[in-house]
Amino acid sequence: MSDALLEIEDYSGAFVGETGELTPVLHGVSYRLKTGMMTAVVGESGSGKSLVALSILGIQPPAFERSSGRMLFRGSDLLELDERAMQGIRGAEISMVFQDARAALNPVFTVGRQLADVWQLQHGGSRRAAMTQAIEALRRVSIPEPERRALQYPHQFSGGMAQRAMIAMASLICEPSLLILDEPTTGLDVTIQSDIMELIVELSRTRGLTTCLITHDLGVVAETCQEVVVMNAGRVVETGSAEAIFTRPSDGYTQRLLSASQLVEAA
Amino acid sequence: MTDAKPAKRAPVRRRRPRSYWALRIGIGLLVFYVAVALLSFVWTPYDALTPGVGDGYDAPSWAFPLGTDRLGADMLSRLMVGARYDLGIAFTAVAIALTIGTIIGVLAGYHGGALDTAVMRGVEIFQAFPGLLFAMLVVQAVGAGIVNVILVLSFVGIPDYLRLARAEIRAKKDWQYAEAARLTGNLPWRVAFRHLLPNSVGPLLAFTSINAAFAALVTASLGFLGLGLGPNVPEWGNMIARGQDGVMTGEWWVSFFPGLAILGLTGGLYLMGDALADLTDPRRRR
Amino acid sequence: MLDQPLLQVRGLKKTFPIDGGRRLVAVDGVDLEIKAGETLALVGESGSGKSTVARCIVRLVEPTGGDVVIGGDSILGLQPSRLVGVYRRIQMVFQDPNASLNPRMSVRQVLEEPLHLHLYLLRSERDARVRELIEMVGLTPAHLDRYPHELSGGQRQRVGIARAIAVSPEIVILDEPTSSLDVSIRGQILDLLLELQERLHLAYLFITHDLQVVQHVAHRVAVMYLGGIVETGPTKELFADPRHPYTRALLSAAPVARWGVKRTRTRLSGEISSAIDPPDACRLAGRCPFARPSCSDARPPLTDIGGGRAVACPVVIERIPT
Repeated sequence: MSDALLEIEDYSGAFVGETGELTPVLHGVSYRLKTGMMTAVVGESGSGKSLVALSILGIQPPAFERSSGRMLFRGSDLLELDERAMQGIRGAEISMVFQDARAALNPVFTVGRQLADVWQLQHGGSRRAAMTQAIEALRRVSIPEPERRALQYPHQFSGGMAQRAMIAMASLICEPSLLILDEPTTGLDVTIQSDIMELIVELSRTRGLTTCLITHDLGVVAETCQEVVVMNAGRVVETGSAEAIFTRPSDGYTQRLLSASQLVEAA
Repeated sequence: MTDAKPAKRAPVRRRRPRSYWALRIGIGLLVFYVAVALLSFVWTPYDALTPGVGDGYDAPSWAFPLGTDRLGADMLSRLMVGARYDLGIAFTAVAIALTIGTIIGVLAGYHGGALDTAVMRGVEIFQAFPGLLFAMLVVQAVGAGIVNVILVLSFVGIPDYLRLARAEIRAKKDWQYAEAARLTGNLPWRVAFRHLLPNSVGPLLAFTSINAAFAALVTASLGFLGLGLGPNVPEWGNMIARGQDGVMTGEWWVSFFPGLAILGLTGGLYLMGDALADLTDPRRRR
Repeated sequence: MLDQPLLQVRGLKKTFPIDGGRRLVAVDGVDLEIKAGETLALVGESGSGKSTVARCIVRLVEPTGGDVVIGGDSILGLQPSRLVGVYRRIQMVFQDPNASLNPRMSVRQVLEEPLHLHLYLLRSERDARVRELIEMVGLTPAHLDRYPHELSGGQRQRVGIARAIAVSPEIVILDEPTSSLDVSIRGQILDLLLELQERLHLAYLFITHDLQVVQHVAHRVAVMYLGGIVETGPTKELFADPRHPYTRALLSAAPVARWGVKRTRTRLSGEISSAIDPPDACRLAGRCPFARPSCSDARPPLTDIGGGRAVACPVVIERIPT
């Protein structure tokens, strides 16, 4: 048996256009997320990195058509599961944090209620207990005054605060074994971004989470991830340990991306 | 190994084809009406204003395809000449309203502030009256005649164009390319008319089409109520009114064909406007 | 006369009225100077007011107070018709090349417009200039007849740059010119900007939140926090030895795309405070690890500490041996 929690094998597909023509976007994507490790999937816009991640949860855009591939999660192929079975996986086993946290939260319910709802859905128990869990989760991600914050609506949260709440939901409330983060800090200020990344690293370490960080920012990767997958134009161009990718990149694209990310000479 | 599944799915259905059909029918009808109106200048089966070419209330026949009216004038000839009046009045009025409304709307929208507030108050007060009622009252007061009808109609239309142009400009005023245009050295009015207005042509065109249908309807309504042109002018609304008695006694064609003519014109314009609105919706643009 | 700065901003202030009679203070007393051929980076996070400063300078936003002087002439209070002349000397490149190009204008039309509005050129001269411009930004005459939607993001930004330099300005304001582009394109655009600066002796006011970009292109840096400049100085010195607590927090938060780099972070507590009716105190007081009671008494002024550097923090200034 392998030590991978999720194995993506030869995943290919295309977008179906207005008139039925196919535009291939993914070409035999294969990578593995090792259990208990933090793996970065790095690429620029159009690389297909997010599309693969959405496919893991079965929430890829409807215009996308798979042509081949498997996604083995604990040995069973996620792509063969029906919608009911997928529902059981989403949240409970695999959860996801998106780039725009405020858009991912429902604007008409308080943040605390949304967390409590998910808790009840996943774990059952009383409403009261669920709310206590929600507040505890907010406290755990360093949201000040969690009791008061839990009663606020998403628009009253700053971008960084909302992302903390989303991370609380995805990691602490859902208690998944695999956490996927799709550009979780893009659009946030540098100071906030660093705090959020530290929180993510700390949570996944203490909870033994397997984490997949999808990002375009190699800077964020260097300090947080053990494994790196580099994607370009729908293909995986290089995989390896973070140290190997940063110190001896072998693929031409990886080398270009790395040098473009290092505008400043090493001190 | 899992077998690759062949991609099998019907092409994603879009609303676009329907819009194109509506647009084609609309344009087709419009071209037909304009052609008939133009043709009437050079040829009509009979002279439209001469009564007594038939015996009066002749049913549709080979000699008179659409029958004759009470005085025996040929309905087809009269309808053809009527197209000149109804189309001419509606289109002229719309052109005037579009021009004036857009200019004021763009200025108010781009300038904002006191000018905008004053203009919009005026528009609100004015629009508190229903358009048709207003047109009737004014024509009653200043008297009938083509020029008066056109002026009243265009006046009624101005606020709508003004509002639309203002809303379009206000929405786009803070777009970066408007700011970039200012830094390029354009004076504010040039930014508004050269950069912003051309990007609003779609919605304005769509609305113009729908508004022209309304104008044609009001023209006919005024004629029907006897407020528009002289009683003998072969304007369609006028013709319906004069044919009313016939409907009671079984001579349906005298009112029916002018009514059909109005329906076809307004219907065509509506279809076209609706399709244009659909096709120029910025959310659908690439 | 020789050393007179090209652009001077003095005590610039911009407040926006919001409901309830309150005021949002976006820019609160900013001073800047840029000399010919020099790049000044204005750095800050969202809400710092850096973009508002840029927009006030070219009067896309009317400042509430202060003065903007370009080549010795104050440009505040100029009528729109006189302002057009100012736009021959100062130009701007916008953040989103997608939004800053009119979708209905071809590249040729975009580049011809400033020439048409500012210069009296013969048709042949204008054509030649347009070709020269497009080649200066690394595109070819074949691109001239394309429309913005037919270009890639990087190509669009090149057109935006060509438009800005069309009438040979002395100063170009670059408002986050690379932040909507992919990393690999970012480098190319920055190289182009550096090349053009050398060739045309341009002065840049470079607005950005990307610290790597700052180190790559700027001669001097001004760091903004909540409407005010907290530290300024030559890029190298400032990055090597940041003084203001906010500058330290900012620089130490930026991740580095290298293996084995360990950062020692200066941490601020909480998040950026509100710019609505701020009290007369150091804007960082509530978050600063070095704060003391006197920080809440008055807003510390930007104080010269030698070497072309200035810091707005009495606490750190006291510690500097003289």
